[in-house]
Amino acid sequence: MKVHIEPIVGRYAHYAIDGRQCRVYFEEAGQGIPLVCMHTAGADGRQFRHMMCDPKITANFRVLAFDLPWHGKSYPPEDWTGDEEYRLSTDLYVKTIMAFCEALELERPVALGSSIGGRILLQLAHQHGERFSAFIALEAADHQQPWYDTSWLHRGDVHGGEVCAALVSGMCAPQSPLRYRMETLWQYAQGGPGIFKGDLWFYRVDSDLRGKLTNINAERTPLYMLTGEYDFSCTPEDTMRTAASIPGAKVTIMKEEGHFPMSENPDNFKTYLMPILGEILSRAARS
Amino acid sequence: MTDDNKKEAALAERFEKAALGFARDRNLCADILVEFGTTQRIVRIRQGKVEEILDRFPLHFPWAFAVRAGTEAWEAHWERFPAPGLHDIFALAKQGKMRMEGNMQPFFAHLQFIKDMLATPRKEA
Repeated sequence: MKVHIEPIVGRYAHYAIDGRQCRVYFEEAGQGIPLVCMHTAGADGRQFRHMMCDPKITANFRVLAFDLPWHGKSYPPEDWTGDEEYRLSTDLYVKTIMAFCEALELERPVALGSSIGGRILLQLAHQHGERFSAFIALEAADHQQPWYDTSWLHRGDVHGGEVCAALVSGMCAPQSPLRYRMETLWQYAQGGPGIFKGDLWFYRVDSDLRGKLTNINAERTPLYMLTGEYDFSCTPEDTMRTAASIPGAKVTIMKEEGHFPMSENPDNFKTYLMPILGEILSRAARS
Repeated sequence: MTDDNKKEAALAERFEKAALGFARDRNLCADILVEFGTTQRIVRIRQGKVEEILDRFPLHFPWAFAVRAGTEAWEAHWERFPAPGLHDIFALAKQGKMRMEGNMQPFFAHLQFIKDMLATPRKEA
């Protein structure tokens, strides 16, 4: 029997993040320009499996996706004693991404991220733009209006995994293939207790970036912003408003996509992503 | 009966036909008020199954929570591929086109059930 085995390789890296020793799981495939992918809140790096299995991408890019500590197959930090409320802050998120890039000695990688992973790219572009060769921010804005009380995500009388998955189920486009929508939701159902809520502390409380992105140089490091038309959390209007404040930022509104383009409707997403990767390749060839 | 009343009644009837008997394996027992404009229905759920949908019930019937929207919101939500912003109950709520009220604990504890039940009239291919 011929068995299809994917080219994705998963490994664990041990290094400190903000002074705390962590065992971080990451997956990768391909070779060439490093392309580091940041998953959405409450999920993990499996969201990028379709990019890692596409030879048109992996022929020129080394695609890497790590699970944030507390997510997926990355444990909490080694000194965790069980009595700590998990909260992702802007500062910790920046340090987490930079620590991964330094641990793997990635030289001026391309950074791609969705939702919280998209928002943090704006802060990275502002704070460490020279350390990256391009930013691809999906479902990203400097701020967006909350649409539910996050206390429902973590309480004793509501199953955390079920409510997280059910809440985000409506953030997928109805045209996205059912199989991929369900895979996307399954990650939310598998999240650790309070983790999605802790990620949203960054999103809702600690990262209002309005008026604070003055140091982004999109000429030096291109910034692409792509948002799905069905994303009512980070709406197309949120993204366009943000991009209007950043000279040189390029915006695309994606048809038939929601909040999880890389995992909910991956083939459709690639029709938007490939031209951008082509531009990045051309730019790299010129430099 | 006005044209608006007829439209509401038709939507409520469409919902009754689609939602009655909807079931999932879960221990939800609740009476829920669903409102189509000014037309109301009580959805009686027992052990994860819609057992009954009442069009007549006493004033101050003790429902657990209510989901209220106008006819245009329901019609748009039930399209096979609803337009952006009309495809999810929270998207509708964020725009002020739908309201959820009452005891939100069973609502959130059984959220996917509630979403799927409310979408049962959605047009299929």
